[in-house]
Amino acid sequence: MIGLIMAKKKILEQVTISRERLKHIYGDDTEAVFAEQRYGFISGIMRKVVSKPVEERLYLSDKIDEVVTNRVLGLPIFLCLMWMMFKFTFTVSEPFMAWIETAQGWIGESVATLFVDGSFLQGLVVDGIIGGVGSVLVFVPIIWILFFCMAILEDSGYMARAAFIMDKLMHKIGLHGKAFIPMILGFGCSLPGIMATRTIETKRDRFITILIVPFMSCGARLPIYTLFIGAFFSAHGGTVLFSLYLLGIIAAIVMARILGKYLLPGQPSPLLLELPPYRMPNLQGAIIHMWERGKVYIKKAGTIILAGCALIWFISNFPWNPEYSKDYESLINKTEAEFMTVSKTMDQKTDQYEDAQESFEKKVSELENERAFEKLGKSYAGRLGKLIEPLVKPLGFDWKIGVSLIGGFIAKEIVVGTLGTLYAVGEADETSASLREAIKKDTWPDKRKIYTPLTAFTLMVFCLLYIPCIATIGVIFQETNSWKWTLFAAGYTTTFAWIVSFVTYQGGRLLGLG
Amino acid sequence: MKKKLTVALAGNPNCGKSCIFNNLTGSRQHVGNWPGVTVEKKEGICKYRDYKMLVVDLPGTYSLAAYSIDETIARKFVMEKNPDVVVNIVDASNLERNFYLTTQFLEMEVPLVLCLNMIDRAESRGYKIDVKQLSEFLGISVIPTIGHRNQGTDKLLEEIIALTFHKTTNRKTTIKYGKEVEEEILNLEKLIENDDQLNKKYPSRWLAVKLLEGDEEIIKRLEKY
Repeated sequence: MIGLIMAKKKILEQVTISRERLKHIYGDDTEAVFAEQRYGFISGIMRKVVSKPVEERLYLSDKIDEVVTNRVLGLPIFLCLMWMMFKFTFTVSEPFMAWIETAQGWIGESVATLFVDGSFLQGLVVDGIIGGVGSVLVFVPIIWILFFCMAILEDSGYMARAAFIMDKLMHKIGLHGKAFIPMILGFGCSLPGIMATRTIETKRDRFITILIVPFMSCGARLPIYTLFIGAFFSAHGGTVLFSLYLLGIIAAIVMARILGKYLLPGQPSPLLLELPPYRMPNLQGAIIHMWERGKVYIKKAGTIILAGCALIWFISNFPWNPEYSKDYESLINKTEAEFMTVSKTMDQKTDQYEDAQESFEKKVSELENERAFEKLGKSYAGRLGKLIEPLVKPLGFDWKIGVSLIGGFIAKEIVVGTLGTLYAVGEADETSASLREAIKKDTWPDKRKIYTPLTAFTLMVFCLLYIPCIATIGVIFQETNSWKWTLFAAGYTTTFAWIVSFVTYQGGRLLGLG
Repeated sequence: MKKKLTVALAGNPNCGKSCIFNNLTGSRQHVGNWPGVTVEKKEGICKYRDYKMLVVDLPGTYSLAAYSIDETIARKFVMEKNPDVVVNIVDASNLERNFYLTTQFLEMEVPLVLCLNMIDRAESRGYKIDVKQLSEFLGISVIPTIGHRNQGTDKLLEEIIALTFHKTTNRKTTIKYGKEVEEEILNLEKLIENDDQLNKKYPSRWLAVKLLEGDEEIIKRLEKY
């Protein structure tokens, strides 16, 4: 055994001696000597085996490159292509997404009839599981179509050019040219963006990119923006929206620099890209690519999102029968009985009857909303919200916003859905006027309004920057294969969001905007 | 009972490797990760005649120097999993650059088949490639294919099987590195050949070359022993 170790030591010693000698002869480029000789071997074979055409033609590929990687035209062409890709993706996937939503609603309704109305099982299966699976499946068309477009662009040879065009700009922010594609994808959804970092060679460049992709404002944040811009900034909607996207980009740049300097020091590896010749993209290949990606997404994100949705449903519905301040059940029954007695005397076709019926239905739905609100307040989610209120209060947020932000961890859209439930306006979506009105009216105990334009803006900023959704966290873990980095991604985004929001809110108040 | 074999596909990025992979495996594919790292690992099954082949798509690389994760993975797989055949796919219209990887496989002395892909494009550009002579120079079988039209796939499969079951064999090809380097290679080779453990695992010349090139991974591994 000792003999063996000695032998290895001897080899290593000989290696050092030999390398010293070669260095003496060839200088610092010893390694290059090997490469040169290999290329020599190759060119020897080439000369014998391949007969080249007499003159090198300027191939179609080179002609296309003259335009596409042109100093002036390169960037506009690239932006235009990207815009077309997004436009195409969103336009084409829209009907599919609508179908999935309709199908989900239909399945939910059909399945609901199988259970006792209002039972625990019905809630879990219909709202928790079917609602949860649906919220995942809705994104599948977008992912598939986007990856199909990407596969086509990649196969055709264009993606390599895109990285080439952006490299200079990206190096200025301490990143690699190839990091650009994931960032662009992040505007659609962080998941494909983070998955696309796989093309980046060095771990350093790849991890930095993974950590900043979530700052690119994804499609799921749009419902949040739509709700608050509609309520508070309808006159300057476009500007506010643009400022949020811009803030995301600036955040990404700042963090890229900080991370690159302190946490993952090093130089971005130089971009030595081969520009492959353009070729006709292969349809079969693109479809296989698309299918594989979609499958992985359904499998991995699906399990995580599904579990997450079930969890949120649980904490916002339990305790199942809290002690209410009023006996809603008997109040509703009483209203019903009143209506019955009144309506008996009326002719069902008169306006009077319809008015009575309308007011009855309104009363019942008010009572039901009030009950739902109280239930949520007493649920674990509600208690949690009140528990974290001190944390979000410096940002101008109350406990209801706190709860919705926790919900937003599952998927950012859920922020809107949770606020809807909390303001007891039943099923709310971002265009619902009643949610907007309810938000505007809500006050702190001391009668100050909770939502000012400043709070609304701060909230949007926070939603843009804080912890990426659970699916993104899952993908970050999958790609970094490290809990340490995954937890870091969750923690540093939230801390950063809090600081930026704090500065926004308190700064705004100092300027007298609040 | 079908005879089983493992085939690794290697090649530069953009050599049409995934096209060949799809031709061989069709829809019987599985995507996972390489152990310990997050680089995608594509595998597929190819059933042909009496044979069942596990086809492993190695990451696309220009070299096997173990600089990037991709290169390390490709090299590790070939060195440690000993696939029955390594199919080196090259872009026929871009041989000079693609052959760099080929030289490294030749030095590793693995059972190698050269797949001269996109031969149609090379021809349309006016290149004439003497396949027979190329095969003689390299000491390995050379199969021209057109991946996107699924041409040459059967010939490639036949060659894979022939090589696995020793109907054909590779001839050893040596790349010479010049007088001084060769002297040092010889010095090292002698020491390596005295070491049974290393000798069994690595071709001595390849190991000597890698050590002289200052390949960190290999040096680290020797230091560990």
